Amino acid sequence: MTQTVKLRPALTISGATCQGCAKKIRNALQPLVGDTEQVAINLETQIVALPEGTDLDEAARLITDSGYPARRLSPTSDPVATPAPAPDAGANEQTTEAAPEQNRANAGSEAQIHLAVSGATCASCVSTIEKALMSVSGVTSAHMNLADNTASAGGDADPDALVKAVESAGYGARVIEDQDEADDRRQQEDRQQYRTLLIKMGISLGLGVALMVWGMGFGSMMVTADNQLTWINLGVLTLGVMIATGGHFFVGAWKAFRHHNANMDTLIALGTGTAWLYSMVVASMPDALPEMARHVYFEASAMIIGLINLGQALELRAKGKTSEAVRRLLDLRAKTARVIRDGEEQDVPVEDVRKGDHIRVRPGEKLPVDGVITEGHTRVDESMLTGEPMPVSKGEGDEVSAGTLNTQGAIIYEATRVGSDTALAQIIRLVKKAQGSKPAIGRLADTISSVFVPSVMLIAVAAALVWYNAGPEPAVVHMMVAATTVLIIACPCALGLATPMSVMVGVGKAAEYGALIRQGDALQTAGKVDLVILDKTGTITEGHPAVTRVHASEGDEQHLLALAAGLEQHSEHPLAEAILRKAEQAGVTPANVTAFEALNGKGVRGDFDGQPLRLGNRRWLEEEGLSVDNATDAEQTITTEAGTPLFLALGDHVLGVIGVADAIKADSRAAIQRLHDAGIRVMMVTGDVDATAKAIAARAGIDDYRAGVLPEDKADVVSAMRGKGYTVAMVGDGINDAPALAAADVGFAIGTGTDVAIESAAITLMRGSLHGVPDAIEISRATVRNIHQNLFGAFIYNSLGIPVAAGLLYPVWGILMSPILAGAAMSLSSVTVVTNANRLRLFRTSHKPSDQPQREQS
Amino acid sequence: MMTLLVNAGGLVLMAAIIWWFWLSSPAAGTTDNDHTDHH
Repeated sequence: MTQTVKLRPALTISGATCQGCAKKIRNALQPLVGDTEQVAINLETQIVALPEGTDLDEAARLITDSGYPARRLSPTSDPVATPAPAPDAGANEQTTEAAPEQNRANAGSEAQIHLAVSGATCASCVSTIEKALMSVSGVTSAHMNLADNTASAGGDADPDALVKAVESAGYGARVIEDQDEADDRRQQEDRQQYRTLLIKMGISLGLGVALMVWGMGFGSMMVTADNQLTWINLGVLTLGVMIATGGHFFVGAWKAFRHHNANMDTLIALGTGTAWLYSMVVASMPDALPEMARHVYFEASAMIIGLINLGQALELRAKGKTSEAVRRLLDLRAKTARVIRDGEEQDVPVEDVRKGDHIRVRPGEKLPVDGVITEGHTRVDESMLTGEPMPVSKGEGDEVSAGTLNTQGAIIYEATRVGSDTALAQIIRLVKKAQGSKPAIGRLADTISSVFVPSVMLIAVAAALVWYNAGPEPAVVHMMVAATTVLIIACPCALGLATPMSVMVGVGKAAEYGALIRQGDALQTAGKVDLVILDKTGTITEGHPAVTRVHASEGDEQHLLALAAGLEQHSEHPLAEAILRKAEQAGVTPANVTAFEALNGKGVRGDFDGQPLRLGNRRWLEEEGLSVDNATDAEQTITTEAGTPLFLALGDHVLGVIGVADAIKADSRAAIQRLHDAGIRVMMVTGDVDATAKAIAARAGIDDYRAGVLPEDKADVVSAMRGKGYTVAMVGDGINDAPALAAADVGFAIGTGTDVAIESAAITLMRGSLHGVPDAIEISRATVRNIHQNLFGAFIYNSLGIPVAAGLLYPVWGILMSPILAGAAMSLSSVTVVTNANRLRLFRTSHKPSDQPQREQS
Repeated sequence: MMTLLVNAGGLVLMAAIIWWFWLSSPAAGTTDNDHTDHH
């Protein structure tokens, strides 16, 4: 047994994004703490919990040296000062698990501060805001999500300082305290902003179109002595419209400029400002310019602002649709609960339900909180949480979850988890968090766009100079048109939206299929997987083994079963349950066995009548010097039936063998076939003997297997396969799978899995079915494909648009793009990216229609 | 004379863009603000 160790949140880190990073950090700390299992790393809050008494400065140094800047948490994070100190619990795993939970509880106030940001429109804004947040003292990590306009800062910075930093960088910000309230507020604000943008668009386009129609149809855009005053007045009017409908571009550009940054606002402000200023010079001093150059461009300034406002309005509307997955989860929550207090039933708001309350739920009603049924029997539709289409039968003692639907009988159940602790609330949190995370490919786009805008400014000046020196007359007009058009067409808004929009839709789509993705990175990696390693028990099989054969070599079968049951009554292993169930069915009373001990991966032992009694696998008994030859025939029969043989030995004699088999899940074979169809190799790891593993692999259609693998060696198998060049996904459910899940490129914890397994996995499958693995992989591939399309589109648009705008086609075909067309093209590019990301919402996996979740058919 | 002025102005502008966005300290403005925020 590992000794109990009390952990406490000690260090804040930055840059750790996946379980691979967590492993690196654990390895770095090994010289200091010895047992790396005593290090709890919460990737969500970027906090490391260490055993009390650890030298924290040294720990911070070791982690920093391993590539993840770390520093001590402020004294306020001391467990004495926090409301929920780590419980001094029994097993090490439990204590280690408690720490991340505790950190999560602290996250809102200290480790992670979330801000609602307004005014961010492009990839440059993202990097500007992240830089502004990082500049605040105490911030260790910063992340801006353009898709839902939120930013988060890790560390223990002052929230007000963060808001001020974002504001002084040219954007609006406020601290998000209540996520639900923030969501409602954002939706309201979005609706309001949508209306405002449309009004602004109407005004600016109205003026622009009127001027253009006048110029093209009835009059002229040339300034003459007769119309000079009219144009000056129109110039002033245009300026007023520009300020009223596009003032935010100029303010944003100025604030960014002060911080040595340039963003989309900069380009729009410079483009429209240049056009207006030039036109005003023409209108005020026409004589100073050659006659051909006395053309005004007031309509261009007004129309560009109008078109960009239209683009932003359309973008806002499309963005709202991408978070539908979360909204659907939020809608699952019941508003009220019928609580029985002091024998009386009363309807109370769901927020007022307390842990321990008894709640009555009638057929057709939603369950308000998580709990355990105390009275009644029913069938519960859990499809909204797990994707499992069939309602599940539930009776007394069974757990039920908030958000599920009671389809049949009336039940009373006791609330065990309420408020933000319910499984539904946790799922919503996880999905939101993952939707906001950014895969590596997105970070590349951010890096590029942060140098993009100043580069465009240089290109615009260079193009202007070339036109001035080498262009035809009126050179000054061509110079101004080329520079304005380059500035307008080059806005990197499409680039900034490309990745987050697709991630948001992809993660939401995966959640619809019952796959919870923790990190954007997992999406990218899952798409590349070419080898899936499956744990056997509970993953490929049901995880509820049953005794198939009892063979006694010495004595009778009843005696054999009584001894085996005597040993196993002390164990909680699934195999033990199978033997006890068989003994009960056969009416056998378990023998009185003392000094019980479980040996991981080997078997169990105890004492009976003063003699050692052992039940376990062949390898272990042979290691102990016993001969199992008298049970070999029975063993072979068991293994060919895909069962696991367990030998029972009393003293030095092997008394017989018990065969235990675990049925393969009905849809495992079909799911494995889907993986094959996707070009993925499938491997199984199991502690079973070779013959059993071979039989199961053949039945399930698995390419390869590793038999006789001890639980602690599963991670080594994963590492070995990674070493061979495979991108490995590990699928498992138990505590013993956690290291292997963490060692894989992508870990899948399967639905019924333990908390430890879920904590170690990048993707959690809420359903027990293996179909979740191909579903998640297919969605990941589709999402990454969508991101590539978006990025390709955005880059192609800019790389073609800028040279054309600069006038590259002029020498050949005499084409010089109009700044108005550039404004329309720029808006179109972001609308295209957002629309393409929304296309993902229509994606369906290759799951057969009959297996589809019900709502997918609707 | 005009051509010379325009070209010189353009080159100075390009140099200024490079200096402002790449060579000068981007933290300068932010730091000033943060300091005033804290006090």
